[in-house]
Amino acid sequence: MDALISKADAIKPLDKKAKRARFFKGQDRAPGEHKKKEPVVEDATAASISRSTRLPPSLVPHEPSKVPSNSHIKDVKLRSQLTRTAKHTALTKELLKDAELLRSEERGRIEVEGQMEKTWRVTQDEIVKSVGVEVAAQRKEWKLDGGSYRTRYTRNGRHLAIAGKKGHVATFDWQTGTLHSELQLQETVRDITFLQDQSFIAVAQKQYVYIYDQSGVEIHRLSSHVEVNRLEFLPWHWLLVSVGNAGYLKYTDTSTGQTINETRTKLGACNAMVQNMHNAVIYLGHQNGTVTLRTPNLSTPPVTLLAHLGPITSLSVDPSSGGRYLATAGVDNRVKVWDCRNWKGCVREWTVRGGGGGGSKGIGTELEWSQKGLLAVASGGTVNVYAPPTIHSAHKGMPPLYLNHPIPHRPLTSVRFCPFTDVLTLGHAAGLSSIIVPGAGEGDFDSAEADPFEARTARREREVRGLLDKIQPELITLDPEFIGSLAPQEERPTYDQLGKKVVAPYARLPRLERLRVSGKADETEVGEEKEQADGGGEEDGMQADESPKQTSSEKPEKVKMKMKGKGKSMKRWLSKKRKNVIDPSTVAIRQKIEAQKETRRRELKAAKAAARGGEAEVEKPSALDRFRK
Amino acid sequence: KISVLHHAPSAHIPARSGDPNPVSRNLDPLMHPFARARERTRALNAAKIERMFAKPFIGSLEGHIDGVYTMARKRDELGTIASGSGDGEIIVHDISNRKHKVRFPSAHKQTVSGLAFSENDRLLSCGVDKTVKLWDTRTTSDGNGDLEDMDARTERTPLSVYAGKMAFNSIDRHRTDPLFATASNIVHIWDETKSTPISNLTFPTSNETITCVRFNLSESSILASAGTDRTLTLYDIRTGKAERRVVLQMRANHLSWCPTLPTSILLASEDHNLYTFDIRSFSIPTQIYKDHVAAVMSCDWSPTGTEFVSGGWDRTVRIWKEGVGRGPAVYHAKRMQRVFSTMYTGDAAFILSGSDDGNVRIWKARASEKLGVVDGREKASKQYRDKLRERWKFDPEVGKVERHRHLPKAVHKAAELKRTMLDARQVKEDRRRKHTRAGESKPKAERKKAVIVEQT
Repeated sequence: MDALISKADAIKPLDKKAKRARFFKGQDRAPGEHKKKEPVVEDATAASISRSTRLPPSLVPHEPSKVPSNSHIKDVKLRSQLTRTAKHTALTKELLKDAELLRSEERGRIEVEGQMEKTWRVTQDEIVKSVGVEVAAQRKEWKLDGGSYRTRYTRNGRHLAIAGKKGHVATFDWQTGTLHSELQLQETVRDITFLQDQSFIAVAQKQYVYIYDQSGVEIHRLSSHVEVNRLEFLPWHWLLVSVGNAGYLKYTDTSTGQTINETRTKLGACNAMVQNMHNAVIYLGHQNGTVTLRTPNLSTPPVTLLAHLGPITSLSVDPSSGGRYLATAGVDNRVKVWDCRNWKGCVREWTVRGGGGGGSKGIGTELEWSQKGLLAVASGGTVNVYAPPTIHSAHKGMPPLYLNHPIPHRPLTSVRFCPFTDVLTLGHAAGLSSIIVPGAGEGDFDSAEADPFEARTARREREVRGLLDKIQPELITLDPEFIGSLAPQEERPTYDQLGKKVVAPYARLPRLERLRVSGKADETEVGEEKEQADGGGEEDGMQADESPKQTSSEKPEKVKMKMKGKGKSMKRWLSKKRKNVIDPSTVAIRQKIEAQKETRRRELKAAKAAARGGEAEVEKPSALDRFRK
Repeated sequence: KISVLHHAPSAHIPARSGDPNPVSRNLDPLMHPFARARERTRALNAAKIERMFAKPFIGSLEGHIDGVYTMARKRDELGTIASGSGDGEIIVHDISNRKHKVRFPSAHKQTVSGLAFSENDRLLSCGVDKTVKLWDTRTTSDGNGDLEDMDARTERTPLSVYAGKMAFNSIDRHRTDPLFATASNIVHIWDETKSTPISNLTFPTSNETITCVRFNLSESSILASAGTDRTLTLYDIRTGKAERRVVLQMRANHLSWCPTLPTSILLASEDHNLYTFDIRSFSIPTQIYKDHVAAVMSCDWSPTGTEFVSGGWDRTVRIWKEGVGRGPAVYHAKRMQRVFSTMYTGDAAFILSGSDDGNVRIWKARASEKLGVVDGREKASKQYRDKLRERWKFDPEVGKVERHRHLPKAVHKAAELKRTMLDARQVKEDRRRKHTRAGESKPKAERKKAVIVEQT
């Protein structure tokens, strides 16, 4: 009985078990034996409906195409984890591409026929006549007598705040025409800005900066901001930035009320300030013609640039290129476009008429880039708009004009594009005028970021979320992508003061060092894998370090196609014979060759197009591509 | 010829009042400035929120006068557990109402050393008074009656008493058959209907006291025991023999079989560590779990098999993830003493710990989990926060919040001291190695140090 039970499947002593296992292994490897295939289980119900149904593409189990194999990592747990994340990333990228197809790419434009017709000849009256009633209503003239006006839009482009030099301040929803508040402050007003949304405005008055709420009630007097000329609000950091006659740059956190930083620029009164929306760096234009970039974390500017001879009147950063281009205008009647990645000389510069007249009086050239990269330059009595690719191409002189509009009321004191619409609002001595600039605004807004049609509850919710997601001012840097990137490797001293070599005990070394010492550090990159595979696996230590250099210096050897004595007729006969045989492998090969030919044809086409001068035509993907599987 | 951008309000404003606002998306990265920085802020907030809501203590089950040294859960009932204390008292608790179901005030003359539920609401208990007793835990009116009254009326007597020759240290019941195993100087297998053991299991050369014995949960005729000779022994009751044993560096105080992975076994060791072994290869533990700063007295797998709990001499309860050897969740309470028994409840949502201060404490298994009904949006946002924490855990600030655990001062100091000592030991070994002939002494992997010898 005991023997019988023990025979059932009791655990065996170790040595016997091991032998048995080995025996089975041997059997598995026996030649000629194949693994038994699992019989495919047919589900009758599934089979009955599968004939007439199709899984929707979103539910089809989808493997992303490009996933790094990570085969060089020995640790199974780590490898599978990395592969999983890589797969997820690749899948997300593919889905992103898929979602791109659904974008409407809606955009305003002026199309001209022939070379003789110019877009800049099109007047506002013509534009108004040719568009619908609702759009035509956006072309407006406001006659106001509060002095020369400064304006500011909210981030969603729905609300407008205006401030006249003589103290007339108003905020309103410009699309419906509802007035939120109107104030007669009876003192000089120099600048105005919205805070997080339309519910608060900050006004730079004669002496201090004041904050008013939507109904025009004074909420705060920021008495530390004295004689401020320009205001900016950094929406993601909740910072109100001001600079004024004394040349102090001040950052105030509007969510806590604390002054974060106060920098003395030592460059006198400042009349030009702008923020870069993409990295929250403040650009200041000074009286001596320099432009300085400022962050609240550095007392000295990370970049100082001598841009103009004489005071700078206006600055603007291009939002469409992620803050890559900067346009400056000075009292010397020049407009310059700078590439922020390379400060050695401007990309393009030109002279404007009537821009001079003393920057300190608030009369000078005004600049603004639109969301889509159109540059508006207001000087003298006209506003000129330039279109993107030519603005920052390295040519001399003025770029071709896209649109212009004369205004009889000098001086022009502010230029603002309205986000998500094709409207440009100009502030001048006799009020405001908004003109229509087709193609200026971004067509697709993201309702998670800025929604022109935001309801009241959504605004409240976004305010709370904005506060929760408030970025700390310490994180403002020139490169906003440094967050989440790898820290630079720490340099460890190898010699002490006496010149003696420092050897830390193995146990005290950091983990990577320890792995390096024991030869287990895996520092191969994913990209190197292929090279190593070509070079042969058995390299170690020093050789492994040299191998990439060798491979890069030596050109890959060309493999010659050598035909060995086969007659042409014989070859033809053989190929004919082969053509008649149809089996899955030949079909597959033929398809592959077809695909290769297709890609080659496309490449040739692209190369030809490039040679012709224009950019290679990119076939626009259609939204229907999502269903092609 | 001229077209101007125009958003039709009808497309962006809800058609009827009460409808949600239509959402439009633009995934262009230029439209989302500071996406990374904002996500990091969100991750930091998520980590902080997680720590803020980490309030794991739910309540304690009082009633014992002496320390609680053993606990058992009933397999088919979520709310019922039994606990035995040092003065020989056994209490069957109803944890959902935090009431006593049944009390056996002097079940044993000395410490109750082991408890196991049997079939039909019966409870097996063993004590160091050399007896095993079988109790009926049924209440008069199916748990609704007044128990205090009934206790006052009658002192319950055991259904049967099994006498042994040595003090019993542990007991476990077979999963299906009416068999149970006890641990004294050897392992006895008993039939519930017979008063003497039906078989004695022992490793041929062993001469030790067995501290813990447990049946495998799926291969139910296999059982494992831990003994004072620093051994872990496997037995099969079908062959009636000890099959294999392994001698470790330090003795194991407690062991537990994984409920989902039948080959995996967990040891709570005297050397402050826990070990999981695959019983197919005893030569090397699959993972060492290091964080306790004193001997680990008890351990128990979660019914899901992905986590386990341990309680130790350092007055803490720690919750580990299977395969992650560091950084467990640490639970401690101001008045909690040495933890001698820990246990998951059957739904893996709660943890029970019995300590020297005579309380059985109820903890949440996931410290910051919200109890009760969680609606869909809340669940989704929790999942998003968890993902963010996972993704940003390498950020120094997020990681700091994630890793930081407040510990009692004594535990913190002990951990510091332990770290210093271990570091010093390692450095010393390094130096020694440096000054011996090259290759003479090689560093040994930590996992390979655990096992001294494997015997069959």
